[in-house]
This record gives sequence, C-alpha cells and structure tokens, in this order.
Amino acid sequence: MAIFKHQRLENGINVYIHPTAKFKTILVQLIFHRQLCENEVTQSALLPAVLQRGTNTYPTRQKLAWRLEELYGTELMSEVFKKGERQLICFTLDLVHDQYLPEENRLLRKGLEILNELLTNPLLEGDTFKADYVRQEKEQHEKVIKGLINDKIAYSIERCLQSMCADEPFSVFKYGSLEQLAKVDASSLYQFYQTFLQETPVELHIVGDLNVAETFALVQSIFTYRRGSEKQVPPTIVDVQRREVRYVRDEMDVSQGKLVLGYRTGLHYGDNDYAALLMYNGILGTFPHSKLFQNVREKASLAYYAYSRLEKHKGLMIISAGIETSNYERTLDIINQQVLDMKKGAFSQADVDNTRSGLRNQFLVEEDHPGALINRAVDGILAERVYDTETLLARLNAVTRDDIVRVAEKIDLDTVYFLTKGGA
Amino acid sequence: MTKILEQSVIKEKLYWQRIEPGLEVFVLPKKGYNKKYATYSANFGSIDSHFIVEGEKRELQVPDGVAHFLEHKLFEDEEGNAFDRFAVLGASSNAFTNFTNTTYLFAATDNFTQCLELLLDFVQNPYFTDESVEKEKGIIGQEIRMYEDNPQWRLFFNLLGALYQKHPVRIDIAGTVESISKINKEVLYQCYRTFYHPSNMAIFVVGDVDAEQVLAQIENNIHKHNYQPLGEIKRLLPQEPAEIAQEYIEQTLVVSEPLLNIGFKEQDLGYDGEKLFRREIATNLMLDIVFGPSSKLYNELYEEGLIDDEFDAGYVAEIDYSHSIIGGETADPERLYDRLVAGIKRAQAEGISQAEFAHYQRKAMGEFLKSFNSLEFVANSYPAYHFKNINFFDYLQVLQELTHDDVNQRLQEHLKLDYMARSVIWPKS
Repeated sequence: MAIFKHQRLENGINVYIHPTAKFKTILVQLIFHRQLCENEVTQSALLPAVLQRGTNTYPTRQKLAWRLEELYGTELMSEVFKKGERQLICFTLDLVHDQYLPEENRLLRKGLEILNELLTNPLLEGDTFKADYVRQEKEQHEKVIKGLINDKIAYSIERCLQSMCADEPFSVFKYGSLEQLAKVDASSLYQFYQTFLQETPVELHIVGDLNVAETFALVQSIFTYRRGSEKQVPPTIVDVQRREVRYVRDEMDVSQGKLVLGYRTGLHYGDNDYAALLMYNGILGTFPHSKLFQNVREKASLAYYAYSRLEKHKGLMIISAGIETSNYERTLDIINQQVLDMKKGAFSQADVDNTRSGLRNQFLVEEDHPGALINRAVDGILAERVYDTETLLARLNAVTRDDIVRVAEKIDLDTVYFLTKGGA
Repeated sequence: MTKILEQSVIKEKLYWQRIEPGLEVFVLPKKGYNKKYATYSANFGSIDSHFIVEGEKRELQVPDGVAHFLEHKLFEDEEGNAFDRFAVLGASSNAFTNFTNTTYLFAATDNFTQCLELLLDFVQNPYFTDESVEKEKGIIGQEIRMYEDNPQWRLFFNLLGALYQKHPVRIDIAGTVESISKINKEVLYQCYRTFYHPSNMAIFVVGDVDAEQVLAQIENNIHKHNYQPLGEIKRLLPQEPAEIAQEYIEQTLVVSEPLLNIGFKEQDLGYDGEKLFRREIATNLMLDIVFGPSSKLYNELYEEGLIDDEFDAGYVAEIDYSHSIIGGETADPERLYDRLVAGIKRAQAEGISQAEFAHYQRKAMGEFLKSFNSLEFVANSYPAYHFKNINFFDYLQVLQELTHDDVNQRLQEHLKLDYMARSVIWPKS
C-alpha cells in the first residue's frame, strides 16, 4: 500500500497527502524542522503560542477560538517535539470531513486558510508583535518550562537523558531555558519569526478521505508565502564513545522513587539492524510478556510499571520503573540481570514469537490512527528511509535470534538516575 | 434477536443482542480498520463497596479498592495468566476500573476469534489464591504511590472528598495501601459472584468484523456456562446529604505552580436514561459557554495570567451522584477563585443567548463526530452509558432537541455557590 503522495510547492514546502477513507476527520500537521540549538529553541518553542494570540483577521484569542468553533469544533493546536537532535514545531488542525456535515463543503479550505493566516498574517503593533501578547506568552512559557517537575515520571526521564548527553545537543530541553526566555522581547521575537519562516524546512501532512490532485492544488493556492534558502538540519550524532556507568541521584519530597536507566544502542531508525533492535526492546521491556514486566513486576512485586523505550533517532534506550526507594538496589540488580540475559541470548523462542506478533500488531494498528501515520512518515523522512507497513513487517519477519543477540551486544548502560525521597 | 440501530448522520450501524440470561452485546462493524477491539464490562466499580451478596441475607462491607484489585487478579488462572495468552495471539490486552464499572479489553489485528474466546473465558473464570493475592499488594501499592505523586489526581480526589460527605465516590478508586492490605481471596470471590453475572455485564466489539458471527460466537460461549438467573443486586449506598462536606481543602506537593479546582454538587439526582443524558449534555454545553476557550471569562483570566490553556470545565452525570469540576494550574488560586465566583454571577445575570447556544451546539456536534475516529473511545463509552440506560448513539438527537432554555436553566440551577467546594494544591517551598 502506498504511504503518501509527495509534492514540493513552488516555495519549497513539502506536502505529503495520505488518502484514506477510514476516518471521519481530516488531520493536518504543519511541521517545522529545527536544529536543537540552545540559543534558538526557546524562541521557536514560544513562537507558536504568540502566533495563536491574534492575526489581522482574528485579532484576539477569543475571536480565533470562536471561528474554529464555528467550523464544527475544529481543533487548532501547536506542540513541540524532539526527534533525535532536532526540534519539531508542529501545528495541528483536526477537522470533520464534509461528508458528515450536510451544510458544509469547504471545511478543509477554511481550516487551511486559518492556518496560513496564523503563520503569515500575525497581528502587529508598529513593526513588531503586540507587546502584551509576547509578555503574556512569555509568562505562560515560563510555566511550561518550570512545569516539567509536575510529572515525576517525565521529569526523571528528562533528567537522566540530560545528564547522559550533557555534552551533546540532545541534552537541550525542547522548550528551551529560562535564561534564554528572559532575553526575548516582542521585537527580537518578530525578527526571529521572519527568519524562521524563511529558512526553516517545513512539511505539510494531510490525512483523510481526499482527492490527491485537488488537495495539492488547494494547498498550492493557499500556502503562497515567500520563503528563502533553507537552513538544513545537521544529522544527529548517534555514534558516541562509550564510558563507565555513571550514577546520578536527585532528592525530592515524593511518595515513590523513580529509577531511570539510560543506554546507548548505537542504532537509529534508518539502520539495517533497526528491526532487530525493536525485537530486542520488545523482548526486554515493552509488553506484559517482556522480561521487565515479568521479573520486576510480576515475580518480585517491586513496581506497577517497569518498561523500556527507544529514542529511535538518537540511538538511546531508557528503562523506567516506579519503586519504593528502599528497593533501589534490588530493582537495579534485577534490571541489570535482564539486560545481561539479553546479551547471553537467554530468552525463549516464545519470547521471540510473542514479541514479533506484538510488534506486527502495533504496526498494523498505526494505520488506524491518522496521527500515527504522520508520525511514521516523519520518522521515515528523517532517517531517509520511508517504510510502508508491508516492508516493516517483512523486515520484522527476517530478524533472527542471532540478530537480536548481535544488537544486544552493542547496547551499553551509560547512566543510572534515581529520583529519591529526601528534602523536607 | 438482533436489533440494528442505524445512525444516519455518523453513518454507522450498530448490532445489538441480548443473550440469556441478560448479557447485552453490541457490535459496531468498521470497514477498513485493521484493529479489532472488544470490551467486556461489569457494572461494578469502586463505589460498589457495600451490598448484599447474591443468595445471602447479610450485608457485606468490602475494603476500599476491591473492584480494582479484582480487575488485576482476574487475569490469572490455574495455568498462568491471560496477558500471556493474548501475547501468543499477538494481541494486547488491558483492563481499567472506574467509579462505576470494570472493563476488560483486547486489541488485535490477527486471531480475532481466538482473542474473543479468550476474553470471554478469562472474565468468566475467576481463580484467586492467597499467594497471588498477597503478591498483588506490592504491585497495587506502587500504583497507589504513583498516584500520590500526581498533583492532578490529588487535586481531584481532595475535591471529591470535600463535595461528598458519605458517598463512596469520595474514596480513591484503588483504595489505600492500608485498605488493600485487608483484601483476601474470599472477598474477591464474594464480589465476583455478586457482580460478574452476565445480566450485570455488557460486551462491545468494534472493527472490521462480521456482526452475526461475533454474536453467535458470544452466545455459544455464554450458553456453555449454564448460568442461572441472578436475583436483584442490592447495592447499599449511604444516604448522601445535599450539602457538601467542607468548603475548602488543601495539600502541598512538589509542583511548580498551585492548582485550583472548584466543584459543584448536583442536587437533581436519582434518575437514568434519556433524561439523565439530556442533563449531562446540557450541563456540559453550559460549562463550555461559560468557561470554554471562546468565553469572555476564559479570555479575561488568560490575559490576566490566572489560567493557562489547560484550564478546563466538565460535568460527570451518574444516577446517584453528579458534579462539575472547573479549574487548572494557576499563579494565584485565591484570586482565581474570586474571579470564577464573580464570573459565574455575571454569567447568571446575563444569561445565554439563542445565538451563543446554537454556536456551541454546532461545536459539540463536530466534536462528537470526531470522537468516532477512536474505536477505543466508542467501545469504552457505549457500555458505561448503557448501564445508565442511555443509548450513547442518541447523542446527536438529544443535542439537537436541547433548547437554550435548558442550558439557561442549568446555568441557574447547577452553578449554585451553596453547593460549591474548592480544592487547592500548593507548591512545597
């Protein structure tokens, strides 16, 4: 099955259309690709919020919200992601397909026009953004940066990765820093915005029951703004010198300790061994039948959650578990033993078979979610290897036990992070 | 006999059959989807902690958290556990417990028939041992600890504790480390016998399936068990006073910013069906008009820096308890509280216009349509509404029949300051 149709607009925006009759909605994602660069991530993370405050047609947040609601509750939001050493600024438009709306036949056009308006026709005050809007959104963004601590699981994972990659661009927080934020004002942000539009490589993905040619023509007629030469994002550094395991510990007044282990896999999404890495990670820790769930949770009753997860572009793996702080040593021993068993090939044929069918299930299910389809396309574009489901399944089926052990041997523990009780 | 419910706007066809002795089964075919998703729900949740055991006379008060505990343990059987069997079939399985229901589910792309058989079998075959019950206490203990560090969760349960004096909705779904320590296999079997009878359960299957085949398979499986009809389940809920328990509750946690929730306790209770559905939809519409992203109040508060874009207002409608909850993170919970109270008074004085009402009605219609992309959402929602005698597919019709008077009435009757409580989480300094 073809994944998507690609066309580059005259101004260099890459458009990807994923036609499918499955959904009642059309999902649009406009994704800007930036280098993870300490001096710029804060501004690019803040920018979407300021743009959403007002345009010339919809000068307030309230007027914009009202307009979107008029379009049958169309949702418009912005998010920031990190994939490898790359910051993705993503605008999402989620709207109902016309065929379910008897009185409507142009909802996609109306939605795209708002998106284009937001991007290219911001409300200005003199020659810059409206100062009030920038001030208020800086305050909101400060809360976003500080708010990482509110989710102790996400916080402990971020702390582990930041410590592990301290000397690499990957350690840059996707929302930026308070220091950089303090330097931003309406004028500097507006200057940044102009460069941002000119130079940032950008993709527009659309998933839904669409006529491909008509949709390209529609997009071409709306996104006509002028762009300059693109600033290419340098590749993510995956191959990093291995070192002795480091132990990092934070104290906080919490009920549960969070244990996070960071590993280098040296393998990324585009590697030939990536399917084997998926199998490795599946046997070790993504399913209820996996070693971590079975040994940390089911056999030892040490945790409610214990899993492993890949960062597929940077070549990292993390293991995360929530435990009683007094069980730190015991849990760490069990986890280390599981990782060692993987290297020794101490896993059963049933582990291999169950993991393979579990991953097959995941790949197929992705086709039922518009957002997952786009995410897979973006992963493929980043790695310059775009896979459709059949190819993914074929690669998965070709993985042997030896492949998994070979991958296991490449994986080294780098950092053990523990968020533990302490403080007041 | 199979009934077919057609919904022309959403272009869906729902097959519905009652299988003796009283299991309600729903099948929603979705062409083209890879995933097949099935839920098996019991009308048994965390609030059902006091009842009369089937076939006995005496009342039983079970430890808090028992419905959730049972959910964890039902996956196990004599030879192993259902998780592993789903894994062999390449499917993922899970379960969740809320205040009123317990739901078991799987998602599969292959081996659907075997997965469905497995779901039916494991839910109908309890196997609890002292050893496995003890082992689970460590796991659920960590689940409880995890939630103790979750500020939103604490904010929410503190508020329920302030709104309700006696109703068990005020108690955490998983119970406490102390309450679950008292759970043993006998208690689990007593709950199972009382609540896991087909007549107190429902199944929902969605995906690219043949509805008639699915219904026949379920019927065959259920009939193998030779169920006897179940007597009435006697749930003994305490008499909950109209008044709230306390006006204010606070806690300190490691958070970057304070959090505020205010809650309104419903006074108009004790019925189910379409009337309840209408009240739920009308109240949610009213809350969106007064507190939603395009409301005057929301935008004033946002510009003053008192709320962020996660600020939310929602209503929960159950037969014997209902409430709305409004709030989020805020720099200044006291000022936000004052501003919300003033905003409510202003909204009540101004009322909601016909034009505003029509605007939000249209928005709600679009949001309902969008939610049908998610098989999980439909399959998780439908049975929960069914247990309240509501056909969830009637949503659009009920929405269309609402008038702006209904919504204005909710504005005056539901947002009563006398029945309001507030919950605050303060950052630990």
